[in-house]
Amino acid sequence: MITKQILEHIEGEASVHFEIKDDLVNFATVSFPHFRGMENILEGKNALDALVITPRVCGICGHAHLMATTRAIEDAYKNAGIEFILSDKSKKIREFTLIMEMIQNHFKWLYMVIMPEVNKLTKLDVPYKPLKGAFASSIASKAIAVFGGQWPHSSYMIPGGVTCDPTYVDVIKAQGYVDELINFFQKESVGIELDRFLSMQTCKEFNELDSDIAILERALIFADMQNKGFANDRFLIMGEHNFTKVSKLKHTRASVIDEKYISTVNAYSPNEITYAKNALYKDEYYECGPLGRMISVSHSMVKNIHRRYKDSAYSRVMARVFEIGYLLKYTSNLLNDIDISENSVVSLVDIKNISSTGIGIVEAPRGPLIHKIEIEQGIIKNYTIITPTQFNIGSSNINNLTPVQLAMKGTTQQEALFIFRTFDVCSVCTTH
Amino acid sequence: MAKISKEERKNNIISASLKLFSERGFYITTIPDIANKVGMSVGNFYNYFTSKDILAKELLLYIADYLGQNIRAINESDASTEEKIYEIVSMYFNIAQERPEMIEYFLRVYLSNREVFKDGCEGMVCVSSFVTEMMIFFDDGVSSGDLHSQDFFSAFGLFMGYLGGMVFLFGEKILPEPLENYKSSISLNIYNALKTR
Amino acid sequence: MHLKQDNKLKLLWLQGVTCNGNTHSFLNLKNLEQFLDKFEILYLPAFKTKHTLQDIVKCDLDCDVLIFEGSYDPLMLRCSVELKDILTPYIEKAKYIVAVGSCASFGGIFKASAPQRNSGLLFDGESITENFIDYKDKIINLSGCPIHPEWLSYVLNMVLKDIKIEVDELHRPLELYSTLAHHGCTRNEYFEWKVDAKSFGKKEGCLFYVQGCRAPMTHSSCNKILWNEESSKTRIGTPCFGCTESDFPRQNLFSTKTNMSIPQDVPVGVPKRSYLTMAGIAKTFHIKRLEGKLIDYKTDS
Repeated sequence: MITKQILEHIEGEASVHFEIKDDLVNFATVSFPHFRGMENILEGKNALDALVITPRVCGICGHAHLMATTRAIEDAYKNAGIEFILSDKSKKIREFTLIMEMIQNHFKWLYMVIMPEVNKLTKLDVPYKPLKGAFASSIASKAIAVFGGQWPHSSYMIPGGVTCDPTYVDVIKAQGYVDELINFFQKESVGIELDRFLSMQTCKEFNELDSDIAILERALIFADMQNKGFANDRFLIMGEHNFTKVSKLKHTRASVIDEKYISTVNAYSPNEITYAKNALYKDEYYECGPLGRMISVSHSMVKNIHRRYKDSAYSRVMARVFEIGYLLKYTSNLLNDIDISENSVVSLVDIKNISSTGIGIVEAPRGPLIHKIEIEQGIIKNYTIITPTQFNIGSSNINNLTPVQLAMKGTTQQEALFIFRTFDVCSVCTTH
Repeated sequence: MAKISKEERKNNIISASLKLFSERGFYITTIPDIANKVGMSVGNFYNYFTSKDILAKELLLYIADYLGQNIRAINESDASTEEKIYEIVSMYFNIAQERPEMIEYFLRVYLSNREVFKDGCEGMVCVSSFVTEMMIFFDDGVSSGDLHSQDFFSAFGLFMGYLGGMVFLFGEKILPEPLENYKSSISLNIYNALKTR
Repeated sequence: MHLKQDNKLKLLWLQGVTCNGNTHSFLNLKNLEQFLDKFEILYLPAFKTKHTLQDIVKCDLDCDVLIFEGSYDPLMLRCSVELKDILTPYIEKAKYIVAVGSCASFGGIFKASAPQRNSGLLFDGESITENFIDYKDKIINLSGCPIHPEWLSYVLNMVLKDIKIEVDELHRPLELYSTLAHHGCTRNEYFEWKVDAKSFGKKEGCLFYVQGCRAPMTHSSCNKILWNEESSKTRIGTPCFGCTESDFPRQNLFSTKTNMSIPQDVPVGVPKRSYLTMAGIAKTFHIKRLEGKLIDYKTDS
């Protein structure tokens, strides 16, 4: 018997088709019903216009798309023989705003998606406060606006650097917003100081707390999520940044990764049309997102959780929560050594002189975001986008299950719907 | 005897000044020379133009406006870009023939005595009415697809340098044929140089 | 405790072909909680509200305020129901309809997803379509990509106060769209004196002449009601892309179209001759203060 569940509040919709056997999910497929044809829209356009268009793939992670486009075009310049070095200043500013968007995504997911869902699952009456997530996000957006002018949809990164030329007034302001976020996180979300939170060693330490995160943690244990939601314990981290480490993890064994092994196949969805494609690495399915990232930087608490509970739904949720803290700590120091007198952008020849291809990879909130651009005399000949949700929420046949399919197998349908959301799904990105 | 209006008097001064400055040179010509030619007292002259430098600038504005208005009329007509080029060339050559002192002033006084004009007529400030019309002409020409886009000064220099050069040769009595006869070939050369490929 | 629940206007937020940018922009509204409290929220895309989308597409709910985000594709399926079948009853019932974002206003970026089918709710570019023309008097366009949360807050507060919103010919509220994005840009002095930015990434210089800034041709409040209560694109050196206008997105967004060095488009309502005369004169003068750097950071040798 196949039952269909429509999921919303995932930046769009998706349908999960469950095959239930003895009250448990035997097999599930996922379909994404909407398609906008962004890659087609980009063809024939001036390559720089992609900086404005690709952020519109997604309203919540548009900034990550902006950076992926910028990197892709810069890579095309390098492949055309134009050598250049980005200033440290522009790199720091870019990373700062990228991380702020990531933090913003995680806060929204925490308060608008996962806490209400854990409520639905456990009926524990976990307090429902979606607007806390909106508030925290608005502070993170302000921090982005200091350098990017606005959030959403700024387009302030360009090949060679950034358009802004900030002063220390701006830097101090941005750092002030990070402080505000840290205060919020400490007071409203975790209930203890950030440093103490990040140096936690075991989950038992949550027992003394009564904060939103502690309540969430207990609810996850109550729902037995530490024993459910396992995928294949393989992770991909591909975006090159200073806050994470590019690697392929099989359990905890890290190895080298090469973009050329990424491929996509049409999703398997016999019950409904889907416009999504599955993303694979060397023809295998890998999970991506905070759990893998936090393991890759050897964050002790997340590693402890993973050691004990592997890639369970519990681990996935807690990793994302810890990543918020980790990123807040990271950005509180990021701008300390910034040298305002460095250039904001290094001058490059006009894009119309460029005929080559380039790849830009970024760690978006949910995992690696890959943009490939083919430029001919400054005009886009071809554009390909692969999003993290294509890795996590692929839909394949029963012989080669994707992370989400593995995670949902053997659980009740209600549990499966919760586990689905522990991946933090972005529908608009998946189909673009 | 009909009373001459202030406006007419002013225009008489302008005509006379242009002629004298062109024929004798800017520094040699004096205010009394001009006043005498117009038939007014020096004192009265100063009622119209308070100094020689002011007069010099006013003359420039006068010429620029005159050319500007003529080019504007051509710009606003229904003619094609190619026809408009001919009309501008024709208008310019007609002035060179009928009111040579205007072009002569521009070439021999303005361009040759920059120091007179450096305060208050910096750059192209005093010829803006004329330059603006040429900008409109080029803008329309490119928008309509007739002319290829290029740097403004490249195109402007080609057009105006060419016309100025021809008028200079005409003034030096080097041209074997009347200026009239050069209108077609010059217009065609300009059009061929500026048109879209 | 919600008092007088029955008297609150029922608000429904539906989406067509969208990126969700307007939703996320709206979530940045200051005092969002107090604002939402003024309405009975039937549905919002961002988080769980009174009804699920599946309830909504049954179309048996009353709604007073309909907010529509995204390009209108009549055949798009939401919970397996075609958008035209979902929208039509709500558009009939609603007293106030707000198209948020340029996609919903004019077609925007996602018109290109299905150019023959997609358009704004009422307009396709600058022309009115047959779509919901019978209801045009209650449709307000808040164009922008995305909208600023305060623009929507303004419209809905005006609705609550029962004050008529004056709109322009594109149905955009005059109190928000009669100014230009240009008004309030911190680089205005550079615009006045035609000191063009030498490149991107500099505090100094105007972005109009070379870098494609559309602010003098774009109706919006972006430099008056600052983004995220903080800044704007042009203030930090990104050119305005004209996203509130019916021709967004244009092409070659980072460069100014010139014909023989003359900008093709000049500020709204300014005759080209007037603009060129002023620009020509301004360009003649070289003002040392404006041509130099604002701050010279002395680097240690």
